[in-house]
Amino acid sequence: MAAVRDGEFAALQSLLKAPSRDAVRQLCQECFSSPPAGLGPLAQRACPGFAAGPEEAEQLVSALHNLTRHVVYRGLTSAEEILSLFPENFHQNLKNLLTKIILENVSAWRNEAQASQISLPRLVDMDWRVDIKTSSDSISRMAVPTCLLQLKIQEDVALCGNSPVVSALTVELSKETLDTMLEGLGRIRDQLSAVANK
Amino acid sequence: VSSQQFSALTEVLFRFLTEPKEVERFLTQLSDFATMNKISLGPLKNIVKSILLVPNGALKRNLSSEQVRADFIALGRRLSELIACLLLLQWKVNSPTLTRLAVGQTLMINQLIDMEWKFGVTAGSSELEKVGTIFLQLKLVIKKGSQTENVYIELTLPQFYSFLHEMERVKTSLESFS
Repeated sequence: MAAVRDGEFAALQSLLKAPSRDAVRQLCQECFSSPPAGLGPLAQRACPGFAAGPEEAEQLVSALHNLTRHVVYRGLTSAEEILSLFPENFHQNLKNLLTKIILENVSAWRNEAQASQISLPRLVDMDWRVDIKTSSDSISRMAVPTCLLQLKIQEDVALCGNSPVVSALTVELSKETLDTMLEGLGRIRDQLSAVANK
Repeated sequence: VSSQQFSALTEVLFRFLTEPKEVERFLTQLSDFATMNKISLGPLKNIVKSILLVPNGALKRNLSSEQVRADFIALGRRLSELIACLLLLQWKVNSPTLTRLAVGQTLMINQLIDMEWKFGVTAGSSELEKVGTIFLQLKLVIKKGSQTENVYIELTLPQFYSFLHEMERVKTSLESFS
């Protein structure tokens, strides 16, 4: 995220016309969460609340989006760091209010950014059951336990937007396969602890 | 050994009986018979000895056709029992393997055949300059009918530990049923 430009700070001054602090808070959150494509509609919704024309609203929303995203990108966590972003002559009270709001939300926003980052399909849930096979066309009597594992997988969040596609995959494992898999998972766990202990 | 082959063997035997001096020729013919029919010579010789006892005994005791027939039937029964014993022994030794193969042929749905993994650290992203979180990626190879399908999944660390815990519970459950 590029640093916020001076022109954008000017646009932020429109916030002085906000009806209440909560309105400012609300707008900050919406601007952060919205993807760039959603800023247009958001600006239109904000117009009436901030007594601003469409162009002004668009600039405000865009500036707020960039500011909040920039803070999260750089990982700024202290008031000083955030305050230092604003230009010298910026409205003092507004600067303090924005800094306060941003500080309140920064860790939640960071989690949101991490949750929505690109990734392979993610595991969201898993269920299992153990069956005993008693008979089949190749052997009439047996008592073989087998495991059915259902994995619920969600496709890449960034691609699905608001309607994530979750697919369920059911997999059958024999005891031997499960043992091998556990061996592999155990090795992962050992490697993870080795990395964690370094 | 088919009846045709056995008939050839009996011809060899009786030719020897009728020309007892032709020992060399008899042994050569026996050996050829063994090779042609892929039987080992040692057991064949033992069987031949047993068979030859009957005509020799019949002559010594001047047995009638009926009695000779009875003797050959008795011999046949002993040979059958011997064959049955040998086959039973092979069956006992191999049946665990055969059973396992039959079970292995039993239908499995979306069988998991392989699992590969990698894990690493996410260094940064377009939204976050420095990240430093661990990710784990699994590739599951699944048999769907006659084709294989690869499924890629990503897990967070807590999910991995929970997955491992659940799989250990499955193992305990499977073990208690075997």
